[in-house]
Amino acid sequence: MSVTTTALARPAAPRPWTFHMTSFRVVLLGIAGLGIGSVLYRFLFGLSASTNLTDQWPWGLWIWWDVAAGAALAGGGYSTALMVNFLGGDKWRTVERGAFLTSMLGYVMVSGGLLLDLGRWFNFWRPIRFWGYHSVMFLLFWCVAGYTVVQLVEFGHIWVERVPTPRMTRLMHRIYVPVLIVGVVLPILHQSALGSLFIVAKGRLDPLWWSMLLPLFFLMSSFFVGPAMVAIENIVSARAHGRRAPVPVLGDMVRVTGKLMGVYLVLKIADLVWRGELGRMFEGTTASNFFLIEMLIGIVVPGAMFLLPRIRQTVGGLFAASFLVVAGVVFNRANVVFTGMARSVNAPSYFPYWMELAVTGGLIAGAVLTYLFITENFPILPERGAAPSPAPGSARAAG
Amino acid sequence: MRRDSAGEPPGGPTDPGRREFLKLVGATAGAAAAAAVLPSGAIASPERVEELAREHANDPGMLIDLSKCIGCGACVTACKFQNDLTWRQDQPWLGPDAQLASANWTVVRTFEPETEPSGSIRYAKRQCMHCLEPACASACPVRALRKEPNGPVTYDVTRCIGCRYCLVACPFSVPTFEWDRPISKVSKCNLCFQRVSHGEATACAASCPVRAITFGKRGELLEKARATLAADPERYMPRIYGEKEVGGTSVLYISDATFPEVGFREGLPTEPIPDYTWQVSRLALPVAATVGAVLTTIWVRRSRALERGAAAPSASPDGEKPGGTHA
Repeated sequence: MSVTTTALARPAAPRPWTFHMTSFRVVLLGIAGLGIGSVLYRFLFGLSASTNLTDQWPWGLWIWWDVAAGAALAGGGYSTALMVNFLGGDKWRTVERGAFLTSMLGYVMVSGGLLLDLGRWFNFWRPIRFWGYHSVMFLLFWCVAGYTVVQLVEFGHIWVERVPTPRMTRLMHRIYVPVLIVGVVLPILHQSALGSLFIVAKGRLDPLWWSMLLPLFFLMSSFFVGPAMVAIENIVSARAHGRRAPVPVLGDMVRVTGKLMGVYLVLKIADLVWRGELGRMFEGTTASNFFLIEMLIGIVVPGAMFLLPRIRQTVGGLFAASFLVVAGVVFNRANVVFTGMARSVNAPSYFPYWMELAVTGGLIAGAVLTYLFITENFPILPERGAAPSPAPGSARAAG
Repeated sequence: MRRDSAGEPPGGPTDPGRREFLKLVGATAGAAAAAAVLPSGAIASPERVEELAREHANDPGMLIDLSKCIGCGACVTACKFQNDLTWRQDQPWLGPDAQLASANWTVVRTFEPETEPSGSIRYAKRQCMHCLEPACASACPVRALRKEPNGPVTYDVTRCIGCRYCLVACPFSVPTFEWDRPISKVSKCNLCFQRVSHGEATACAASCPVRAITFGKRGELLEKARATLAADPERYMPRIYGEKEVGGTSVLYISDATFPEVGFREGLPTEPIPDYTWQVSRLALPVAATVGAVLTTIWVRRSRALERGAAAPSASPDGEKPGGTHA
């Protein structure tokens, strides 16, 4: 399927929009369709008809995956932006746009997941009017909403390259710096807020995870999972497009995050020691075993792999370590939302209803499809758009 | 950075701001971490609980004597009539499976304590504890849940967004949700807010045929509970549940069975839950301001460095922007 927009009277005729149908994309469209159906069902018949949530398990798959894990995995946007624009990592600029796109789509998914989950979704704007500023949820709402808007504005920057509109281009250049700064401040706040969200569960969340440092842990992990996501994304899309992944750049980035993971590990252990809960790690309960798995497979092993040049400079090693980091962070969020809470929940454990899975699957499929459309039509990925020129209409028509 | 990669694009001079930034971020993070960590040990002051008890001594409350309860369920009926709640087969309000639910603001649950002679039964009437410093109200992003000036913790459905953070936040698992409707609301006891605001007792307390529920001012109820325990130490557990849990609650319990045996959560902190969360949420604005200021500083410095040193033609893609906007 290839749609051509009739060229209007503009100096440089824009490239036609394209979206090449493949069997993979057809499958994704099917999943997205099932997701849309489930979303409609949820809005018509309510949460008990479409989910397995109960008073004992008020938060489930959508909060864990779409919100907590999704936001962390979207951390690649702000961590790359911070390193490239402020910490002197100009050499990593080639991967900035891809990271940014993944992040933007991640946040659209997070906002969508949150909205679906609200029992009175039409009231979603209420925190703008009623300021429950004591609430971490209030902070989270403002920052996620604000950052989603900021990212859409940032995307405007890429949009005007493709669709020349001089007035918008000027505006984009004028607000570039403030938007860049706000685009780092807001995610720092809300990534930590996602951790602070569970401070309220003092006395209920397992002490292996409950800590006053939860916000710092969530922030740090969202930061170090970022480059891992960027690496995976680059390796996968390079393979899909028959290009070579920019391994030197990626390997260089994950070296920095490997060190941060070391700091995280030390902090985690120091925090357990300080609170006198270190022994809990070895109690042999489900929670303690899950905690050990999380720390070993998700932090120690991939952290070490990132720090070894011989591993991080190969596509396979880089991919494997990045995958472990991502899995580890997703597992960590699951442990905070489910495993750690289980001991204080007087009810059978929660497993998502198929419609919850369908909705999450649909959100992911929708995000991947949008990603494919955008990378096909905008200069996002390295090698195709390594040095995106601010001048509109740069003749790269052949692609 | 020790090892420079070969393909480093020009236009990125070794940044003067970076080390400085890292120092600043480190210092900020350290201060924030210290500010956040210290209270977890330091706010456990007994004065805080006493102060709260004094402040809320005249709030309406209930003292429930579990040793007197006969499990008749009159309180549940009174509550349902008072608050227009329905009787639902899937939400038992009496018996071993009784559980707070969207149509049950109060329930009487049956327990068979192991320490009691076999066949002995205890009944636990449960409802909202009406914390002196409620976690649910502090967690609500829109203040739909709030602590009324005269004591009860109430819910305003018109503000509610249905995020259910209150369900996660409540240390007693009291708030429930109307899961089976397309548009759902939170459901919980409001200590008969209308009644108590007019000086009347709660419906459940007024209906109890055996006077297991005493309605009154919290301070006086505490005195009465202490006197009851002192008068019959053989019978009662030496403990008033709700006196110190999460800073104290307006509903107090005394019992002849141990509290865990009749379904009460143990191990709750004596500090109010909002004391913990506020330690963190109050840092939001300072952290935002600090990070914003640091980033702005770095950007300005980088722009100047770019202008001064590398007026190189092959500047980084956005090299022209900082030069234009900052002077």
